[in-house]
Amino acid sequence: MTEPFIESEMLGATRWTSAAICDLVDENKGSIDPRIYTDEQLYQLELERIFGRAWLCVAHEAQIPNAGDFFSTYMGEDPVLVVRQVDMSVKVLLNQCRHRGMKLCRADLGNAKVFSCSYHGWSYAINGDLIRVPREEEGYKNKLIKSDWGAIEVAAVELYHGLIFATWDPQAPSLKTYLGDAAYYLDTFLSRHDGGTEIIGGVTKWVVKANWKFAAEQFASDMYHAPLSHLSATLAAMPEGTSVSKAEWKGTGYHVRTHQGGHGTGFFSAPTEAAQMENIQILFGWMGEDASKYYYTQAAENLRQRRGDAPLVINGAHMTIFPNLSFLPAIQTLRVWQPRGPNEIEVWAVTIVDKAAPQAAKEQWRLGNIRTFSAGGVFEQDDGENWVMIQDVLRGYRARKTALNTSMGQGFAKPHEHYPGIVGDVFSEEAARGLYSHWAKMLTTDKWATLYD
Amino acid sequence: MTDIVMTATVVPDSQVTPELQYRVEQFLYLESRLLDDRKFRLWYDMLDDDLRYTMPIRQNRLRREQHLEYSGAVEAQFFDETKKSIDMRIRRLETGFAWAEDPPSRTRHLVTNVTIFHVCNEKIQLSAYFHVYRSRLERQIEHFVGQRTDCLKITGDSYSLLAREIRLDQSTLMTNSLSFFF
Repeated sequence: MTEPFIESEMLGATRWTSAAICDLVDENKGSIDPRIYTDEQLYQLELERIFGRAWLCVAHEAQIPNAGDFFSTYMGEDPVLVVRQVDMSVKVLLNQCRHRGMKLCRADLGNAKVFSCSYHGWSYAINGDLIRVPREEEGYKNKLIKSDWGAIEVAAVELYHGLIFATWDPQAPSLKTYLGDAAYYLDTFLSRHDGGTEIIGGVTKWVVKANWKFAAEQFASDMYHAPLSHLSATLAAMPEGTSVSKAEWKGTGYHVRTHQGGHGTGFFSAPTEAAQMENIQILFGWMGEDASKYYYTQAAENLRQRRGDAPLVINGAHMTIFPNLSFLPAIQTLRVWQPRGPNEIEVWAVTIVDKAAPQAAKEQWRLGNIRTFSAGGVFEQDDGENWVMIQDVLRGYRARKTALNTSMGQGFAKPHEHYPGIVGDVFSEEAARGLYSHWAKMLTTDKWATLYD
Repeated sequence: MTDIVMTATVVPDSQVTPELQYRVEQFLYLESRLLDDRKFRLWYDMLDDDLRYTMPIRQNRLRREQHLEYSGAVEAQFFDETKKSIDMRIRRLETGFAWAEDPPSRTRHLVTNVTIFHVCNEKIQLSAYFHVYRSRLERQIEHFVGQRTDCLKITGDSYSLLAREIRLDQSTLMTNSLSFFF
């Protein structure tokens, strides 16, 4: 019996079967088929089955402190408004007028009493209710049932240490279940200190002409690229004459694939005081003295008291929450990779800091991120170069037929006594394999239960 | 610096002689040439030790919130540099491992509409429009258009760049690497 082609809600029958999609990411061989980065039908399936279902980070609470404050963002390619309500709860609404589909609000952020469509004037309350329709009497003869035509709302919103997550799927598991093992690491990043986190004003946005999975995978899994891709930045960010070995994170390097969900992280945990002293110097070089001191003393001590478990002061960490939320603890950049077709990403990045951090440390993190991890940052510039070039190479027929190697550390990762997830050496692609396997699972199954087997 | 631009009159300061205008323009042209010739160290020497070099982000705001269009001094920026951090950026280029600029970009800095609006205390305040053209590798082409508001310090016969605020006419930045200077 031949396997049926996967039906896309939008495209109808695709030319992909479940088996064909699963073959694209072969865990046993340790290879991926580069068409995952280029195929238009797979991209449309991603919008439906990944971005249309997953928990996506849409904002930080600090971006909308007051009633009526809104932040305009995207879930996949769907524009949404994240709006603070009068009762201080948060709603996430599709930024689309129900009459003819015009974008309800075209500002990036601000404060609104109503969202009034600029096309014909349908107006919505900040909770999404349709409250005013021009010519309701003359045109609609008062027969329009406005309560049926409110703005579309997401299925669920959850807050997590200040981050706001939303999903379109009423069947989606709770955010806690969705995060699974990743929650431990997310907590380490966002809940080091009482009072939580805040955002340094403004979102930097830039375009990278590459598939979103290059970015998501790298932040989930790829410590491997750092020593070479970022060699120039590593050297330049340290005092002149610093040797390469002094600029490398010290300690035992760990790499984590979450048991489920496709999330991943990697970091160095310094087992000795001496190693940690060297790490302090690195963060000093990259961000500044106050930021480094706060991170390694006050924040570390607080975290130890709050958690009291494993050596939690993690160094040089990278992480992705599937599908497109990534961050670097200690550097304090947090970004969403907004997909824009198979060949383009918009990066939306913010600097996130502990509220409790001294002002001087916050300012160093602000400046440090501008200079290291942002469009003009000395580290980030070289990431874009890699991803854009790969995407360019993949225009080629032979290039798209050529399997890529994802075998590093295969078979060596296992559960760890302290760290949740499947843990291996920091130089591994276990999390990449996890991310791509989860990607294939989400595309080929419409039941959440089977994603968490 | 923003406020000064806002209150600039169309009548130039009486001290703005054709000669001053000429000398200032030549300074800006020299900067452009050095940047386009990739002589970053020579350009670096034109910077004042107390340099502040910024590029705010620019947000789409409703007209009633126009005053919030640009990010503030302690908010996110695309650049917020001192002479020391510019040195770090040039040192990166000099390592031989700066892949986003190796092979290097071809840039052309066009500078126009140079308006001096204030001269006092050994300082010259001016604004200029720019069009930075950048071509990379085989066929990547990017254009950056905007306004620079500069403060030059008069140092003997010449000037040094004391402050530059770069206002780019883009909201979402249409490049993956700001690995060059404005």
